[in-house]
Amino acid sequence: MSDLDAYRLKARAWLESMKPTFGKHACHGLPEDEHLAMGRRYQSAKFDAGYAGITWDPAVGGQGLSPLHKMVFEEEEMPFAMPSGYFGVSLGISVPVVMRFAEDRTWARERGIAALRGEEIWCQLFSEPSGGSDLAGLRTKAEPDGNGWKLNGQKLWTTYAQHSDYGVIIARNDPTVAKHKGLTFFWLDMKSPGVTVRPFRLAAGDAHVNEVFFDDVKLTDGQRLSPVGGGFGTAIATLAIERYSASDPAGFGPPLDLFIALAKDCMIGGRPAIEDGRIRSVIARIHSLRAGLESINTRAMLAMAAGMEPGPEGALNKLVSVRSRQKLSELAIDLMANLGLGWDRDGWLKDDWVASWLSAPTMRIAGGADEMLLNTIAERILGLPQDHRPDKGVPFNEIPV
Amino acid sequence: MSILYDEGQQAIAREARRVLDARVDKARLLSLLERTGEFDQSFWKTAIEQGWTALALPEAHGGLGLGLVELGIVAQATGAATAGAPFLTTNYGASEALLMTEDAATEAHWLPMLAAGEAIGTIAISEGNEPLPHSIAVKYADGALIGTKPAVTAGLQADFAVVLAADGSKPILALAELRNVTRTPIDSFDNSRNYADLTFAATPATLLAEGNAALCIAREALTRMAVVAAHEQLGGAEALMFLARDYANERKAFGQPIGAFQSVKHRITELYGLVEIARANCIHAAAKLGHDDFLIAAAAARLSATEAYDTAARDCIQIHGGAGVTWDSGLHLHMRRARSLAIECGNMFGWEDVLAVELIGAAA
Repeated sequence: MSDLDAYRLKARAWLESMKPTFGKHACHGLPEDEHLAMGRRYQSAKFDAGYAGITWDPAVGGQGLSPLHKMVFEEEEMPFAMPSGYFGVSLGISVPVVMRFAEDRTWARERGIAALRGEEIWCQLFSEPSGGSDLAGLRTKAEPDGNGWKLNGQKLWTTYAQHSDYGVIIARNDPTVAKHKGLTFFWLDMKSPGVTVRPFRLAAGDAHVNEVFFDDVKLTDGQRLSPVGGGFGTAIATLAIERYSASDPAGFGPPLDLFIALAKDCMIGGRPAIEDGRIRSVIARIHSLRAGLESINTRAMLAMAAGMEPGPEGALNKLVSVRSRQKLSELAIDLMANLGLGWDRDGWLKDDWVASWLSAPTMRIAGGADEMLLNTIAERILGLPQDHRPDKGVPFNEIPV
Repeated sequence: MSILYDEGQQAIAREARRVLDARVDKARLLSLLERTGEFDQSFWKTAIEQGWTALALPEAHGGLGLGLVELGIVAQATGAATAGAPFLTTNYGASEALLMTEDAATEAHWLPMLAAGEAIGTIAISEGNEPLPHSIAVKYADGALIGTKPAVTAGLQADFAVVLAADGSKPILALAELRNVTRTPIDSFDNSRNYADLTFAATPATLLAEGNAALCIAREALTRMAVVAAHEQLGGAEALMFLARDYANERKAFGQPIGAFQSVKHRITELYGLVEIARANCIHAAAKLGHDDFLIAAAAARLSATEAYDTAARDCIQIHGGAGVTWDSGLHLHMRRARSLAIECGNMFGWEDVLAVELIGAAA
C-alpha cells in the first residue's frame, strides 16, 4: 500500500469518527449561526487532527504535505457534508496570499493559525456590480490619504463577507492608465469604520454572498500587499494558489447511481422508467462523460505523484461536470414528476435533486463563468485569438461606459 | 485504473505519427473512395514494416508481446491519417479470439502469419443490424458453415474469419478460411474498409468454442476491437480539432481571424472537451483489459470517442465553410470514417444499451 493510500484510509477513519458530531445529519436544519458555530468546531477538530493546512508550512501551523494529500483528504471529506464551506475562500485564497505578501511576518503567522483553527475567517473582495469576469474593469477607488489610503466603492458576490473578520481587496489607485495597470492589492479589517456588509439571497434561497460598501474606509500603507499599481499581478497569483483542489465529476451534485435508483422507482407510460430507452441513453451518456473526467483526474494525480505537471485538460472539470449536473438534475425532477415538486430548503447538493438544480446556475457562473472558461481554454491551450477588446490599452477613465 | 503513457509508449506514438505524416497521400485516399475492393497498399506495407502487425501478438508467435495500450497508440495515429485499410483492427479481433479459445494448432498456424503481415484475419459475428445477434442465422453442422454474414469489415481481403454460428440451438465459434467463400462487395461510402457479405456454402471450418464460452469470447473479441476503433476515432477527432484550430487562426473575415469570433472559438473549444474526455476514456479502457469492469470502460470509450469524432467531423467542416465541403479538401474522408468506425465493432445505440445494462445491473 502506498503512503497516499495509507493516508486516505486514515483520513477516512477519522472522518467516520467525526460523522456523528459534524456530519450531514448533525448539521441538517440548523439555523445559520449554529451551523457556523458547528463549522468552527469542526475546523478546530481538523486543526487538532492535522487535517487543516495540509499543504501549508509547518511553521505556520500546516502539515507540509503535497497537494496530492490535500486532494485525497478533500475527496474523502466530500461525501460527509461536513460544515467546512465557511473556510474555503479563507484558507484556499485569502490567507495564503496574506501570508505570502504581508510584510509583518509575525502578524501574518498569527492570522494563519487563527484561520486554520476556524477562529477567524477571511473573504476575498474582487467582483463588483460593474463586472465579475472582467476583473480589471473594477471601480472601487483607493486614494492616497495622508500616509495611508482611503477606500470608496462597492464589491459584490463576496462569499461569507458577513462572517468575515478580514478581507483581501483589489482597488483602483489610478484611473488614468490602462485598466490592468492602475490597481493595488490590500488587506483590511472588515470591522473598520465605513465598511457595510449586506447579505443577499441567491436563486436557491441561500444568502452566503454579500454586497460590501466602502465609505471613506482608512487603510495604512502597511496593509498594502502589492506594489502601487501592481495589484492585478497579485490578484492573478491569488487565483493560482488554489490550483490543485479536489474536483467532482458529478459537479458537486448527486452521483449517477442516485439517478439509476430513482429511475427504478418511477414509471413512464405504464412501464418502469429504467426500461425506457431515453432514460437508459441518459445513464450511458452521463456515465461516459463522468468516467472521462474521473480518468482525467486520476491521470492528473498520477502525474503529480511522479513530480510532473498535470495536463491542461484538468481545466475542463468545472465546465463539463457542472453542466452535466444541471442537466441531470432537471431530468431527475422531470422523472419524479408530481413527486418532484417539493423543496427542502436544507437539501444537500449531493443527494437532493432540487437543491442541486436550483444552485447549478450559480455554479456555472461563480469562479469563472462557462464562457470565460471556454475563452481561457481556447486562448491558453489551443492558441486561438483573444476576443476583440475595445478597451485594450485605453486609459481606464476614457473607456466608454 | 488509468495510466500515464511511459517513455516507450510515447516513443511509439511519436514514431507512428511521424511515419504516417510523411507517407499519407490524400489524393490516393480520395481515389480509393471510388473503387470497391481496394485498399491503400502503401499504408499496409508501412504497417508491416513498422512492426504494427506484430505489436500486440505474443512473442512465442513472432509478436512483440505488447498489448492493447500500444495498439491503441498506433490506432490514434492511423485514425488521424484516415488510414486506407482496416486490417490492424480486424487482425487484432481475430487474434484475440484465437488466443482466448486456446486452440494451440490454429494459434501456431495463423498468429505468426498475422505477425509477419502475411495473412489478414477478421471476425464475422454481427447479423442483421445487431453487433452481437440474439438469434444466429449462420449454421454450423458437420464441420462446415452455411449462411451469410453481412458487411464484414476487411471481408474482401481477409484470409480467414472467426465466425459466430449456431450448431442447432447452441452458439459456436469456428475459424473458416475464406479462399472459397463467396464475397459480395459492399459499395460503401468508405470503400477502403473492404466490407463484404460473406456467404458460406458448406465451408469447412475449425470449431474453436461452443455454448456460452463461444458467446463470451465473441463478445470479448468485439469489445477489444471496439477499444482499438475508439482510439482510431480519438485520433481522427483530435486531427480535426487541430485542423479547425489552424484554419480559424489563418482564415480572416470581417477584418479578423474567424477564430476571434466566439461562435467559432467556443465551438473548437467544445471539441477539445470531447476529445479529452474520449482520450481519458480510451486510455482507461485499454489499461482495464482483463479486469471485471473492462466492458463498462470499453463502452464508455466507444460512446465518447464516437461522439467526439462525429461532432468534430460536423464542426470542422462547418468552420471551414465552403472550403470544407469540396471533394478535394478531403475533410469528408474524416466524416465518412467517423461514421464507418462508429458502426464497425458495434454501433452507438448498441453500446449505449450495453453500458446501460451493465450500470443498471451494477447499481441493483
